[in-house]
Amino acid sequence: MKKFILSRLLQSIVVVWLVYTVTFWLLMATPGDPFIGKKQPPPAVLAALRQEYHLNKGDFHAYLAYGWQVLAHGNFGPTISYANWTVLDVIRNSLPVSVALGSMALLIALWLGVGAGVLGAVFRGRWPDMALTVGTLLGISLPTFVIGSGLLMLLAVETSLLPSGGWGTLRQLILPAFTLAVPFLAYISRLSRASTLDVISADFVRTARAKGLSPMKVIAGHVLPNASIAVLSYLGPATASVLTGSFVVEKIFAIPGLGEVFVNACLDKDIPLVLGIVLVYTVILVLMNLLVDIASAMADPRIRL
Amino acid sequence: MIPSLVLLLVGAICFYISTPHRLGRGAINFCEAGQIHTLDPDKMTWMQDIRVAMGLWEGLAQYDPKTLQPIPGVAKSWTISPDGLIYTFHLRHNARWSNGQQVTSEDFLFAWKRILHPSTAAGYVTMLFHIAGARPYFNSLAAHPRHHKPFSSVGVKAPNPRTLVVTLTHPCGYFLSLMAFPPFFPLNPAAMARFRTPEHGIASAHYNPRWTRPPYLVSDGPYYLAAWKFHQYLELRPNRYYWDRRAVRCTTLYVRNFPDTQSAFLAYQSGAVDVLSFVPPRFAPALLRQQRLHLRDDVHYLPVFGSYYYNLNCRHKPLNNPLIRRALDMAIDKQAIVKHILRVPDRPLEVLVPPDSIPGYHSPRGLPMDIAAAQKLLAQAGYPGGRGLPIFKFLTNSGAAMNIRIAQAIAEMWRKNLGVRINIHEEESKIFNQDVVHGHYDIARAGWYGDYMDPTTWLDLFRTGNPNNLTGFSNRRLDQLLHQASRQADAARRLALLHDAEKLLVTRWMPAIPLFQYSDGLMYNPKRIGGLATNIRMITLLKYIHWIQQPLPTVTEGRR
Repeated sequence: MKKFILSRLLQSIVVVWLVYTVTFWLLMATPGDPFIGKKQPPPAVLAALRQEYHLNKGDFHAYLAYGWQVLAHGNFGPTISYANWTVLDVIRNSLPVSVALGSMALLIALWLGVGAGVLGAVFRGRWPDMALTVGTLLGISLPTFVIGSGLLMLLAVETSLLPSGGWGTLRQLILPAFTLAVPFLAYISRLSRASTLDVISADFVRTARAKGLSPMKVIAGHVLPNASIAVLSYLGPATASVLTGSFVVEKIFAIPGLGEVFVNACLDKDIPLVLGIVLVYTVILVLMNLLVDIASAMADPRIRL
Repeated sequence: MIPSLVLLLVGAICFYISTPHRLGRGAINFCEAGQIHTLDPDKMTWMQDIRVAMGLWEGLAQYDPKTLQPIPGVAKSWTISPDGLIYTFHLRHNARWSNGQQVTSEDFLFAWKRILHPSTAAGYVTMLFHIAGARPYFNSLAAHPRHHKPFSSVGVKAPNPRTLVVTLTHPCGYFLSLMAFPPFFPLNPAAMARFRTPEHGIASAHYNPRWTRPPYLVSDGPYYLAAWKFHQYLELRPNRYYWDRRAVRCTTLYVRNFPDTQSAFLAYQSGAVDVLSFVPPRFAPALLRQQRLHLRDDVHYLPVFGSYYYNLNCRHKPLNNPLIRRALDMAIDKQAIVKHILRVPDRPLEVLVPPDSIPGYHSPRGLPMDIAAAQKLLAQAGYPGGRGLPIFKFLTNSGAAMNIRIAQAIAEMWRKNLGVRINIHEEESKIFNQDVVHGHYDIARAGWYGDYMDPTTWLDLFRTGNPNNLTGFSNRRLDQLLHQASRQADAARRLALLHDAEKLLVTRWMPAIPLFQYSDGLMYNPKRIGGLATNIRMITLLKYIHWIQQPLPTVTEGRR
């Protein structure tokens, strides 16, 4: 186990470096100049700006300079579009928003998804299963901006039951978290339905029933733990996509999260900010996958690390 | 079970640290159109930054909220020498910083020296070039950072802490109104000292940008910066040391912003925001209709000091021929564009400088729409019926649906009226700006908001050598007229020269096709909020904003 974790961590360093390199050169290959806006400053001012952001001595110099800054100071320096904030400041302020929204969404997706999946498996082929299948199909195929705008119109604009957006109260969290959860919820419910069906017909479940356990106890005690391993391994990638995919939801509900900052940074060609956010996302993804591997090994003795 | 507990815990912690913990009671929520980019007055160029800076700082002068004429600010009075070159400002004894220190003339010297340093990278540094010796000082620093001219060569002197003497290179009628603009604001040297970053070179004027963040930011205006939550809000509270403290009646002001104008408008409709610093373009036609029918009274909409036009690339054939450029202008039905595409009462333009906006300046008459004349001009240029002309590359930036619709309408007018064809390219703003600056276009959409109340804020765009001259237009006569105007001490004669220059631009040379004057405005309930005035430059002074009648807590706000 220790050896496994160590080797995975070493691999992660290489992955992070590769991601940094690819992102940097992709950024350099895209057209657009971060310092050319609507109003053109004198050439001396442009030169000073390029120097401040290490962009005055060619691309390779910038590649080394930013890499060194991260290694030596753990920071990318000030951002280009929000010059009073460093990349670290921006991430420190915006990441918690996205993480709070994302974890609430995952929580909703996990509980409702597994619940729906087990329900579907138990009532296999009967009307609750049919209804859930249609529901999950809709959930997977409808894009979040349709679901989000629909919920917004219905619950915030027409009926004023919930606030239309913003950040700061729990009530403001409900709509966006649910919207963000829908596709994951649908996927998790399909996943857990399939694995529940696998487990439900297994010998040990028949034995449990034969012992005279109530159906509820069989499901909760024997089926659910075994069926949830598939869901568990999905949580790693789901965490990553819930964080990177929250952009649309953040935009619809006016949430000051990292997704919106990231997309705008790409459009503004804010090189340090894009690099910083990509690296943070990479680290999160790598760590989540590692955690999920360890958790699956603990939950299922058949998996050896 | 364990994953859900972990999720719950992580979510709760992150939610707790990312949300504001206290929100002042009785606060006014002011919504800006865009994110605040910087609060460094020397570096700002965005309208929202400038608006907030005018609430935090005060220059030698400040604006009258209605007329925008300069009125005494930190300076209680001033005298101007008869030749219009020497300005002597007398600072008031009770002008104080938000930390209680006195505002002295040295603070202005410190700030102006900093902005004139190229390493400060100030976007509006050219505004200071009216001051004698400022341009040579800046250029010498850029060329020889170690052996540059001394700052004493710049025409700013502080004979005593209460007096500031400024010498200009040439008379400048709008110099006083520049004194109320952020690049000329004073800075507090003591508060900034700890943020100096010597690693950028001893000669550099570089500061760690954190100096603009609370609690470090010290300002001398109506408010001080109490809090700044990234991408969420800025909290402004009255500066108790401000000399005109009694005029500031708002106890807490939140400056907020939303990712797009629609969610901002939703927040406004639901009462979460009290003032919108814009009228959302998508809803503007409907809102204005409701206002006309007296169904609402919160839309404050007016023509502003900005114009929408098309740049024509004058560097290459065939657009280097003014006949073709004039033909293109005369074949456009600008009235139809305003009426059918914009659907708001914007004003079509024949000229570049918005008419009737600058006191004492009379706009020339531009070219009317005249299809027969346009066809004749094109034939005269050697392209009868558009035959032989290449397909022009038309560039516009993405982000506003209006740009494409206008371009399509004009493309159709040109095709039908002149036989001229264009290819419309829509590009991301950053790429669009780069292509336009490098001249990779034939025709490009452009918009310009005047930075000061003078025709030169537009006319300079076509001067040879100006970095903002994007058309590549170069004409000795225009350069001469602009030069003569800059040497002219008599204001009326100077404006007459500029009138001639604009007349030649819009009737003969036509390096850009004016289309319409922008309109914009504010949204607020005038029965509840007072102290806001709309003006042509959209400079909304936060200083005077106050409640007339505070609203009861609404459903969405009540549980905070």
